[in-house]
Amino acid sequence: MLNEIAIIVIRGVAIGALFSIIAMSFNIVHNATRILNFAQGNIFILGGFAAYFLADNAGLPSWLAMLLLASLVIAVLVAAQGWLTLLPLRDNTTEQDSWMISTVSVSVIIAAILMLLYGPFAYSVSGPVPAFRIFGVKTPGAFILAIAAMLGWYLLLSWFLRRTFTGLAISALSQDFDAARAAGLSVRRLQLLAFGISGMIAGSAGFMVAPIISVSPDAGLRYVLNGFIAAVVGGIGNNTGALIGGPLVGVMAMLMAYKVGGAYQDLASLIVLVVILMFWPQGLFGRATARRV
Amino acid sequence: MASQHNSLAEAAGPEVSLPAGKGHFKSDGLQLRLGILLILLTGIGPSLLGNSYWEHTFQLVNIYIAVAVLQNFLFVDAGQKSFGQGAILGLGAYGLAIASGIHGLPLTVGVLAAVGAAMLGGLLFALPALRVQGFHLGFATLSAAIVFPQLLIQFDDVTRGINGISLYLPALKTPLVLGLSGLTLLVTAVPIAALLLHYGIRNARLGRRMRVAAESAEAARSLGVRPGLMRALAFMIVSAGTGICGALYVPTVGFISPQGFLVELSFTLFFVVVVGGRGQLLGPIVGIWVIYIVPNVLLVQLVEYRLLIYGFLTLAVVIVFPDGLVGTIEARRRKRFQRGGGEQGFRLAPFTEMLEKIPPRQVPAEAAPILEVRGAVKRFGQVVALDGVDLKVRPGEVHGLIGANGSGKTSLLNVISGFSRMDGGSYSFRGRDVTRQSASSIARMGLGRTFQTPRIFTDLSVWDNIQLGLDARPTPLAPEMAALAERFKEAYGEDNPGLLAHGQRRLLEVIRVVFADPGLVLFDEPAAGLSPVERAEFSRLLRLLSKRLGMAVILVEHDLDLVWDIADRITVLETGSVVASGPPQELARDPAVQHLFVGGAHA
Repeated sequence: MLNEIAIIVIRGVAIGALFSIIAMSFNIVHNATRILNFAQGNIFILGGFAAYFLADNAGLPSWLAMLLLASLVIAVLVAAQGWLTLLPLRDNTTEQDSWMISTVSVSVIIAAILMLLYGPFAYSVSGPVPAFRIFGVKTPGAFILAIAAMLGWYLLLSWFLRRTFTGLAISALSQDFDAARAAGLSVRRLQLLAFGISGMIAGSAGFMVAPIISVSPDAGLRYVLNGFIAAVVGGIGNNTGALIGGPLVGVMAMLMAYKVGGAYQDLASLIVLVVILMFWPQGLFGRATARRV
Repeated sequence: MASQHNSLAEAAGPEVSLPAGKGHFKSDGLQLRLGILLILLTGIGPSLLGNSYWEHTFQLVNIYIAVAVLQNFLFVDAGQKSFGQGAILGLGAYGLAIASGIHGLPLTVGVLAAVGAAMLGGLLFALPALRVQGFHLGFATLSAAIVFPQLLIQFDDVTRGINGISLYLPALKTPLVLGLSGLTLLVTAVPIAALLLHYGIRNARLGRRMRVAAESAEAARSLGVRPGLMRALAFMIVSAGTGICGALYVPTVGFISPQGFLVELSFTLFFVVVVGGRGQLLGPIVGIWVIYIVPNVLLVQLVEYRLLIYGFLTLAVVIVFPDGLVGTIEARRRKRFQRGGGEQGFRLAPFTEMLEKIPPRQVPAEAAPILEVRGAVKRFGQVVALDGVDLKVRPGEVHGLIGANGSGKTSLLNVISGFSRMDGGSYSFRGRDVTRQSASSIARMGLGRTFQTPRIFTDLSVWDNIQLGLDARPTPLAPEMAALAERFKEAYGEDNPGLLAHGQRRLLEVIRVVFADPGLVLFDEPAAGLSPVERAEFSRLLRLLSKRLGMAVILVEHDLDLVWDIADRITVLETGSVVASGPPQELARDPAVQHLFVGGAHA
């Protein structure tokens, strides 16, 4: 019994770490632009495909090199997506219609391209960290990588957003575009950078955890939804909230899968989302850190 | 006015009438007719040609048109971005198929089940929409669209899972008139009905109020509209209609399975609306032609690339023609034939002249106050915006509210109009304690307001912007006001409010709120940006409103000369507290506020 609980918690936290990473990749773009990139799930899956084609069964050094390469390429692609998304918006990103449509269409485009190229199959990838045993149950090494990636990105982002000039400038955008512009910041460049960083976060995470996710063209939507739920639970824009929200949603999903079967996971997510939006639309943890600049 | 006996129309006529331009502000009527023609073409065209393959294909296309028309209404008129309309359609289809196909219940029960199931789904969307908007709602509906086919497979004892349900209704396929079958007539009538419904609601009070709620929840509440109710209503109307489409889907295809209602269908319907032109009546129909008919019917070999093409088309449209195909043409047309604007674009004169003919209304000196604020406290975190403010306003009184920036004037207005809750104290309006009332119900009791940035809706004509005020009235207009409204309608019915100068937009908002017949109006810096002529007109109007119509007015204004001239009483706020209150003459002698008038002509 105790073992089962431990396994549910460990698996839940690891899966939740993925949601948390996607939530953080939402947050940086949202803070800089008020945009929520619906394509983030498929960008994450893109990282998984990169791992399959570049680093399946690779040794650690070449795996690391490919991770860096894939993250950079995806970052550039997402920055380009950001440029397209911001194109019709000029200064006003509070008007949501246009960016919702363009990010949804980019999401559909990525999924359609992957489907055309690789078919509706799930690809299995093996990573550099060997499996290990917890309470006698074999656990893929990528679970550790997922949690490490979450903590790593969290710390890196905290440092970047609070200790570097560029990071502070991006944080300033989350307060007030006009004030940031008046202070001499080039808003558009910072926003593109934020898109790029979000691509790097989601792409690198997809690459690292490819062994434990379903690397298939239609998996992106599920990750983007759960990432969104994690972001909402933690309060959109709040990375510390995401750090807690992700594992919370992950453990809940695991518990659900254990109690009533994995097929109801998406239904459970939907119910959690509706309940959270109805009763705590600001998230359980508010936007505390977004205010601390 | 010298000629009191003149009929109002004559007196007001020359003032309101403008150089007549050609063209109309909206092309809804034309779009409606074109839309019906296009639906007839895909609806009965193939049957008349006797091509049964086309007949079958286009029957389904027509159902999608109806669903897209409803989504267009939901998207723009009600402002609800739903990515889950495919699931609602599926709920309708399964409602009928399970009731009549599996359990053999009569078709009327089946159709009711279809509508009921779809409306339950709509309720699931409407509930979060009461609290959140925009991308939150987008994700909730998207997640429903993903879950729906999974549930169909999971609950296979109810839905027969991936095996699907067959239901043939041969009676619908026998020719009735002109060789057209009942099914053909139905799939032609339903999208036409959907289009007429969209047109009808849009041009009615309900549609205007939905539109306002969609574009500015604040403005809507100030006009007594409950935005949540509007959203829920829109979801229910659209779901019921989509449920009927779902019921029709079953005999049209003859077989339903989860494969027919994947998330891609919801995406496609959404893209159809965007590509055709959000908010244009004809938009979804053109969208279906471009996105669905052309790739599916004419370019069958491209079917594999379908989603890719949809995605790129939509992305390109958003970036290059953000208004969509029909919307771009409409924007050009509107630009070419637009009317209104210029110095005479909008004037108060006809209104004030009419008011001058009304005999002054005597308000008893000791009339009970219409508004009484007692010890209002409002905090924002550590900042105390209002620190125990008392305020009394009598009917027919113009009450000036002055003070430096940040002294709490706008906070007080927001508290009084119910936009923000007091942290302490209470207030009553028309003798009733309304401290805990919502903004919209306070507005319905007769409290009106304007905003620092005027809430003018550029998708509505100048007249429709005024009509929003009429829509909010609890009682019908007095005859002379009705005649004036008629004049405004003739003069501004086709005018584009986008052409009005800033000051004119302010005055337009003022006229709107006055037509709503409030007992108390809050004006938030109404004179900012007005020209000297407009300013004179406006202060004349204010005086008339209070003295002739008996309206009480709270005026927040930085122009002290203006306040001085027309206010019966003035309250001075400083860092959230009242430092002085009284008639202007008394105030000028009050040492506490002397500095405000230093150098002024009134000291």
